[in-house]
Amino acid sequence: MSYTKGHMKKNSFYLLIGCVAIALVLIFWEADEIRSPLLIMTAFVVAVALILFARSRVTDLIQDERDIKITEQAMTRTMLVFWVAFCAFSIGAVVQMLQVPTFSRPPPGQHIVTLLSPRLMGFVQLGLLCFMIFLYVGFRVYYARKYGEWDTDEE
Amino acid sequence: MKNKIKVFRAMHDMTQEGLAHAIGVNRQTILAIEKGKYVPSLDLAFKIARYFKVNVEEVFIYDDEIVAESAK
Repeated sequence: MSYTKGHMKKNSFYLLIGCVAIALVLIFWEADEIRSPLLIMTAFVVAVALILFARSRVTDLIQDERDIKITEQAMTRTMLVFWVAFCAFSIGAVVQMLQVPTFSRPPPGQHIVTLLSPRLMGFVQLGLLCFMIFLYVGFRVYYARKYGEWDTDEE
Repeated sequence: MKNKIKVFRAMHDMTQEGLAHAIGVNRQTILAIEKGKYVPSLDLAFKIARYFKVNVEEVFIYDDEIVAESAK
């Protein structure tokens, strides 16, 4: 990596992101081995802080108003879809945990189908976050294309 | 919003990269503005006009129909 007076080049920054991602996967593995959720939670926060700090040090990464507009539009659309999906799952989980009484009892021997057990909520939340990332990438590609990101001309 | 950035660049014998560097944006932003895919902010429009030492109305031409189309 090339550092000059605490500054960083764009490619070094991308390399750092890759290293941090690999480190996070290893820490996740270790956290699972030693049964310590706090380890991966702390590591994740530290990793995000490190990436944000490194990003502020990148010298050849120009983010102009068009980039900001693309990011804003993509985030707005992503949040619009995400909060509906997240609310639907959360409300479903809360209803299930509260065990809302029903007027008609199920016949003896028949089990009520539980879609969202509290133990599954972690996986559901992670799945929703992955869904959010895919949504964001999709919307970002759409708006980048709309605002001429991959256009070429004679120059 | 129509614009004459390409014309002014040609008059000043300037590349998109050069103009982008001079006003602190990416080359793709200049290209997108020239092609009418992106309408710049007032701030950026004034920067471009001032760089060419002309009024903003000489570089950018407001067109109701085109603006309404791009807002969709």
